[in-house]
Amino acid sequence: MTSKPQPRATAELERGYRNMLLPAVFAVGIFAIVPLAGMLALSFSDYHLIRGTNWDFGFKNFVRLVSDKRLMGSVYAMSVLSFFGVLTQVLIGAAIAVGLSKIVGKWRLGRVLFLLPYAVPHVAVALIWLSLFTPTLSPINAFFDLFGITVPSFLTTQNGALFAIVMADTWTNFPFAMLIILAALQGISPDLDEAAALDGATRVQSFFYVTLPLLIPAFLMVTLFRFIDSLKHFPMIFVMTKGGPGRSTQATNYYAYIQTFQNSNVAYGAAIAVTLFIVAAIISFYVARLNQRITS
Amino acid sequence: MIDNTSSFRVKKAFGVTIMLVLLFFAALPTVWVLIMSFREQAEIFEPIWESPLAVTLDNYRGIARSDFPKALLNSFICAGSSTLLAMIVGVPAGFALAKSRLSGKFYASWLLLLLRMAPPVGFVIPLFLLYVNAGLIDTYFGLIVAYMTLTLPLIVWSMWNSFAQVPDELIEAAIMDGATLGKAFLQVALPAARPGAVAAAILGFLIVWNDFFYALIITRSSTVTAPVAVMNFISYDSVDWGSIAVASIALTLPILPLMVIANRYIVQSLSGAVKG
Amino acid sequence: MKRLLTTLLSASLFAGVAATTTVHAQDEINVVMFGMPYTKGLQAIAGDFEKETGIKANIDVIGQDVFENRITLSFTGNTGDIDVVHTPVIQVQRWVAADWLKPITAEVDAMAVKSDIMAGPLDAYKINGEQWAVPYMAATGLMTYRKDILEAAGVEVPQTWEEMLAVAAKVHSDETAAIAMRAVPGQGFNMFIFPMVMRAYGGKFFEDYTAGDLTPAINSPETLEALNVYMKLLNEYGPQGAGNFNFAEVQAAAQNGQITFAVEGTGIAASLVDPDKSKFADKTGITLPPGGPAGRSPAIAVHGLGIPASAKNPELSAKFIEWAVSAETMTKIALAQPFSNFTTQSVAQNEEVIAKYSKVHPDFLAVQAEALNLAVGHYRPLLPEWPALGQAIGENINGALNGLMSPEEALEAAEQEMRDILGL
Repeated sequence: MTSKPQPRATAELERGYRNMLLPAVFAVGIFAIVPLAGMLALSFSDYHLIRGTNWDFGFKNFVRLVSDKRLMGSVYAMSVLSFFGVLTQVLIGAAIAVGLSKIVGKWRLGRVLFLLPYAVPHVAVALIWLSLFTPTLSPINAFFDLFGITVPSFLTTQNGALFAIVMADTWTNFPFAMLIILAALQGISPDLDEAAALDGATRVQSFFYVTLPLLIPAFLMVTLFRFIDSLKHFPMIFVMTKGGPGRSTQATNYYAYIQTFQNSNVAYGAAIAVTLFIVAAIISFYVARLNQRITS
Repeated sequence: MIDNTSSFRVKKAFGVTIMLVLLFFAALPTVWVLIMSFREQAEIFEPIWESPLAVTLDNYRGIARSDFPKALLNSFICAGSSTLLAMIVGVPAGFALAKSRLSGKFYASWLLLLLRMAPPVGFVIPLFLLYVNAGLIDTYFGLIVAYMTLTLPLIVWSMWNSFAQVPDELIEAAIMDGATLGKAFLQVALPAARPGAVAAAILGFLIVWNDFFYALIITRSSTVTAPVAVMNFISYDSVDWGSIAVASIALTLPILPLMVIANRYIVQSLSGAVKG
Repeated sequence: MKRLLTTLLSASLFAGVAATTTVHAQDEINVVMFGMPYTKGLQAIAGDFEKETGIKANIDVIGQDVFENRITLSFTGNTGDIDVVHTPVIQVQRWVAADWLKPITAEVDAMAVKSDIMAGPLDAYKINGEQWAVPYMAATGLMTYRKDILEAAGVEVPQTWEEMLAVAAKVHSDETAAIAMRAVPGQGFNMFIFPMVMRAYGGKFFEDYTAGDLTPAINSPETLEALNVYMKLLNEYGPQGAGNFNFAEVQAAAQNGQITFAVEGTGIAASLVDPDKSKFADKTGITLPPGGPAGRSPAIAVHGLGIPASAKNPELSAKFIEWAVSAETMTKIALAQPFSNFTTQSVAQNEEVIAKYSKVHPDFLAVQAEALNLAVGHYRPLLPEWPALGQAIGENINGALNGLMSPEEALEAAEQEMRDILGL
């Protein structure tokens, strides 16, 4: 920022910027506030689908949360699914984005092919992977059977089932990471690589020291958005394992669903949802801060 | 120097191998779905090499005759409209976040993210009651507005990142030359951030395209979207794998031409990017 | 390109705005049901109802999970947008407790078809002296078996779970596992199947359900024995991955010739003996599920039609229900769809219906009738809390099956959780 505009002009500009931002905030705000306020009100209430409500508001749902062992189990399942899911999606998405732009060149069809899994609805994705992971249905098992190799059954152990869900989730969501990173890569001027090459850097060096740092905002954004979505894990679990074996893949959002719809305990389900919401809001606050610091 | 190129070749071969492995990962389920879509219900899980000739078009005929094509059209209407509206509102917002020095802009951006964070289970009932009272159940308008809450944060954030890579000097220079802020945005910043804008639009479209949750709550029979309609192939005592496979293909096929167009556009803009 | 994209997106917007007008007819009712042969058949002949009565019935047949969410929201929101609702008997207690249904005792009494409906399923919808829904189907648990494999092994069809263990050991091989049953946790999944084993050994959910003593009693030596049998069958004589099977996987395994026995509901069992649906149909026999020291207790699931409390036109709704369960309508559907478990009895005397299902399998109708005769109405307890109870028990049973806990621990946990849910 070498030449600063006049202060008066700056104020006018800032007003212009504000006018550009407000419509978006309003559009989301109006439709966000009512459901969120409703969720908050429910979480403090005693609303039950069968018993209705006695208008008894208080913290008892949150007190119950603290000693709920099943909640702890669900947080573990959710953490595993979120951490490994987001990690593999970002890694695979980034690898493909870099590969497409640096190695394969202008293979346009490639991008399209890699994007397709993102268009398949999650219910169908879950069914497809359920069939791939069920030994009696899977073509993979049938293929290895030809050579006398038995592929283990994944969905009947906790780690195996978590792995299977991560695989399905990764398959349908890596294109999201790929597309954003690809767009970010293309926003980077090729001049920078050329300049690095003139200074004697190899292509790999210039990738790591020049390109990668410029991709950090894109990485942060992908991680943030995928992380937020991963807290809402539902269709994959519902279709692939129904939370089993036992309860070992009941991630927190799935547990909230069971409490709300199976156990009719709407208020307690809302309290779980509010807690998740707060955790996500805090984490995203810091990620957003980081993002802001890097972009400006 | 020769040494350098041969080591480069090794690295390139390594890179290509990784790409092939990843392509296999991406393509395997797709191929499996294609095979399932042509198999008869009774033979659907029989290894293809055991009965390669047991193929049928029944699954495709069944889907063509069902309500599924109408659900696809509904999906298209909602995804297209909400993306368009969110782009109109969201791209300028992303620009403002990237370039302004407003003190509250960070909180505005964080606020945009908030709705996306709440687990749907918590707010289904309030959201449903809101829609019932507003008379928006089973309307395109209600669905499109709901989807804007999904697409807007994504578009704003990715445009924020894209505009951040456009040098401030370009915009300042345009304003010094007497352009209004709007002009500087439309004529200088937007063309430079084109790849990001196309990517954001695609992602916004796809998020709505495969959304299940909002459609489940807001739609009834007349505006039902394809991801919810897919669930109808899972009935009380049977799972219609063949129809689900065809439905998955039907959901990805309309995306293909859209992607090819958008893709060409990203590649095109590469040469013109940043240099202005 | 840019123009093309913009045009496409704008076109979608206009299409959306243009299509928002709706037309309303005079006499119109909305029926919501989830997908099964009967509901699909009913949807196909909705035009007949309009011809007879002048009332237009919009029958919406949707996925079961979509259905459950939609009706829960409609009922809690009191929206009145549903006039007739698919009412599974395992949900009716819960819906009545939540005041979601309208009592229809007088309406049902006025129906000519009432005396033609099987008494057991009809009574299952009677709560606090009022009738809440009218049944149209009763699915039971049945067992299919591969005749060729049993013959080759020189064994008979097992009559008890004890015999099943012995037979399974003889017929189990790498190519063809002995048996598959639903195992995924859920009141409609493993808890549709497991109580058959439990009841055969004398296990029970409560101290004395019929006398009204609802003290949880699932943690008993009888249930433990049953659980051990169920686990041994699936873990040692089931196909690979059996611990995560649902009905679809059981069906596919049987269609692929990967299992000898399948214990399933009527719908799946019928598909396995139907030559159009399974290559092994001609080698497959059908019979009652095994019993035990405490007798034989085939699973039962009753489905019916009810009227939501918020329905705006209950007279029209009742008219529709009467038409939907009439012998004439039922016969049409039984002939057009794989629908054999109708509860309107006189349909079973129709020559064409008999001919159709005897062709599927000569024993089919007889076995089904016998299973229905043996089934206990409260196979799964008819309580408002059942969905929650079934979920909790099912999760623990599945946990034991997959080795996350011992069967003793599972039953202890299940009983404790039952107590928690019932607030005891």
